[in-house]
Amino acid sequence: MNADEPCERDFPTAAPDRAAGAETPIRVRERILVLVGADRTAATLVRVGQQLSAAMMNAPWTVAHVARPDANPVSAAAAQALQDAFKLAEQLGGSTVTLASDDLRACALDYARRSDMTQIVVGRGRGPRFPYRHRLDRTLLDASPAATVHIVAGDPAAPRPARGPSRRSPRGLSWRGHLGALGVVGAAAGVAWIVDRYVESADLAMVFMLSVLVSGLAFGLWPAVTAAAAAAFIYNFFFLLPRLTIYIAHPADVLTFAVFFAVAMTTGWLTGRVRDQARIAARSASAIAAVLSATRRLSASATASEAAKALAEQLAAATNGRAVVLTPRGHDLEISAADPPLEVLAADDMAAALLAWDMGEPAGSGTDAPPAARWTFRPLQGVKLRAGVVGVAPSAVATEDGERFVAALLDQGAVALERAELAADAADAEALRRTDTLRSALLNSVSHDLRTPLSTVLGSATTLIDYGKSLSPKVRDDLLLSIREEAERLNRYVGDLLDMTRLEGGALVTRREWTDARDVLRAAVARVKRRLDGRRIKWDFPDQVTMVMADASLLEQALVNILENAVAYSPDGTTIEVAAYEDRRNVVISIEDQGRGIPTVELERVFEKFRRMDEATDRGKGTGLGLAISKGFVEAMGGRIAAASPIDDGRGTRILISLPKERATPEGWL
Amino acid sequence: MSAHRPRILVIDDEPQIHRFLGPALDAAGYEPVRADTAAEGLREIARKAPDAVVLDLGLPDLDGKQALTKARAFYDGPIVILSARDRETEKIDALDLGADDYVEKPFGVGELLARLRVALRHRIRDQGAPPVVVAGDLTIDLVKRLVTRAADPIRLSPREYDLLAQLVQGAGKVVTHKQLLTAVWGPAHEHDVQYLRVFVGQLRQKIEPDPSAPALILTEPSVGYRWMG
Repeated sequence: MNADEPCERDFPTAAPDRAAGAETPIRVRERILVLVGADRTAATLVRVGQQLSAAMMNAPWTVAHVARPDANPVSAAAAQALQDAFKLAEQLGGSTVTLASDDLRACALDYARRSDMTQIVVGRGRGPRFPYRHRLDRTLLDASPAATVHIVAGDPAAPRPARGPSRRSPRGLSWRGHLGALGVVGAAAGVAWIVDRYVESADLAMVFMLSVLVSGLAFGLWPAVTAAAAAAFIYNFFFLLPRLTIYIAHPADVLTFAVFFAVAMTTGWLTGRVRDQARIAARSASAIAAVLSATRRLSASATASEAAKALAEQLAAATNGRAVVLTPRGHDLEISAADPPLEVLAADDMAAALLAWDMGEPAGSGTDAPPAARWTFRPLQGVKLRAGVVGVAPSAVATEDGERFVAALLDQGAVALERAELAADAADAEALRRTDTLRSALLNSVSHDLRTPLSTVLGSATTLIDYGKSLSPKVRDDLLLSIREEAERLNRYVGDLLDMTRLEGGALVTRREWTDARDVLRAAVARVKRRLDGRRIKWDFPDQVTMVMADASLLEQALVNILENAVAYSPDGTTIEVAAYEDRRNVVISIEDQGRGIPTVELERVFEKFRRMDEATDRGKGTGLGLAISKGFVEAMGGRIAAASPIDDGRGTRILISLPKERATPEGWL
Repeated sequence: MSAHRPRILVIDDEPQIHRFLGPALDAAGYEPVRADTAAEGLREIARKAPDAVVLDLGLPDLDGKQALTKARAFYDGPIVILSARDRETEKIDALDLGADDYVEKPFGVGELLARLRVALRHRIRDQGAPPVVVAGDLTIDLVKRLVTRAADPIRLSPREYDLLAQLVQGAGKVVTHKQLLTAVWGPAHEHDVQYLRVFVGQLRQKIEPDPSAPALILTEPSVGYRWMG
């Protein structure tokens, strides 16, 4: 970030929390201002600011740098140090601001007052080489009755920044310039004296002319004029005949003196112009940097309210006044952000804001209508729509540069707001779409998975009714069995759907009580026992397992779902291992099958809804909700669930449920 | 005896369906053949030349319509579709592609067997289509294009007659809207289902004993019509 900006322009680059208040800022909490210069101490000061903030319950803190437009740009190293310090501040959670003013003290004090700072951190002045800073800490101490000032000794190891030749105040520059000019003329006089002694009838006027020229180039107009006067006097008094008088013998010499002054004027003027141009160039470079910085901040805003807040802060800083951002809500405008915080606008101001919104043109103070408004409102015209209205309090200094900057800010702000709103719309649409996808998946699932068992029940029942007499007893029994199995399957589906609805609808109530995980596991295994077919259950329980706070019925359902999954995806004759153990913090339940396992890419998604592996061995085909419900239930009880696969030689799946132990074990269990 | 039992191939991926359909078909005097996938079903059609095929549209390996098209390439026996209601368009497409009838899941065994009987009968009759169809006191002479009730001629417009003839020739199987419209009005009108509503209404007025409770021309909602004479 370039540093040289007029004071009426500053640009925060990260948002501090602001307490809401009435139209006058109300101090609710500490606010910390860290003043840094462009040197290596800046980072130290930033860290101090952050520590102070941490000590004050994370009070909002702002790192400010006052750049001086009159000085030449600081050295690259110094600019880098400042930029690093700003980056550090943003990483540590602080805001950053670059102010610009020739008068560092006034600007800093003004900013501190305006932003309602309660703590000011400043580096200690380091002697005459830094006269402005040396005075700064004292001045702040004297002039900040409302704020506590912390003076930090700079990092002694930090090298001092290189000082450019023109790092001087304009006043200093003028008297030093005159002295310098006299020095140059003196040197010229010395040279002229030597030349005069050894060379016959040399044109010494040329030597003095050179000194005037050099003075003009080096020091500007007025030192050059001084040089011309001094050169004319010395040349006339010491070198023109008659010597040691100011009497001019030849009228032609008068012309020589006139040329001295003409050269002084011309070179001085030229030098001044070059300087002005350099300054203008520096200014526009820093204006671009300021706009870029503001844009970066605005486009980093993820939500409309963040964008509004950023815009309000930037505008308030840029206009050295107050700013408010209003966004539409229904048919009205409401305050979306304000700097300093503001809750309501006066009726006249609100009318002006609505006028600006409706007409798409500036309204309020400083415009035609309405006359009573104290704020000036301007519409925020985005690419497609009007995003809102910004109001600026009329204390704004309307320099041309400032106007341009404000206009650029408004453009960027409008686009940022619009973008944030579009992003929010897109997110809403995405959420809706996902809900729709879920619904249609659910419908498909219901349609297929409920109808299949119904088909079997209806088909078997009608077969028995129509042909029961001609069927063998074995076939009759099998049909009756299939009716029962499918009715049970149907019941499980309906149960799954209800469980999922409870989870999704947020209607799940957990009744947690002291529970022995082993008891719940035994009950769950008993419920799936009949569907095990040739699969064996292997138990692995310790003698003691700490009780956990859990909802036994939810845990049982979660375990049943996992067990059913294990049955569905493992072949007959394999073993399902059921284990419970504990570590220091958790009781862990593990259910492991010897099925074909889950591919690693699928592992993370097994707990998603409607996630089904192809080719369940048979009849275990589920709704695809079982594991999702298990996860929902376990998490509702504060536990965690995870899947691991393959277990060994590329086969097997292990589901782990861990339930946290309560810190305090009830006395009864001790 | 087994040589005369009609062989019915059931293609369905749900083992539970085979579990009851096998014994039911067996008890009803058919010889059931089981296939779990479309590929297996097509192989069985080629190898065992079943008298009729029951085809589930929701097969894991092949889309129902594709399976039907492939089967129809070398098999022209009756094919009855099993489908769930959410596959309605697929069901109509299947009928248009040459399926004879459909049964919606869940279904009673009696219903499926009745449809199978109709389809089998239709195929038998197809081989020597009778020129005169009799339904109660109604006689339809497909050669003379004459419809009479108890010897009294019934006046039908040419379109009404064509429509009736199409339905009668379907003889118990569903004739889809598209099939009727294409045959009677031409391919350009295959979506003008409202024509059918009007003309079927008029036909019912003229031939049904009780037009408010049609017994001869049954409506299969959003699929087509069925001649029950």
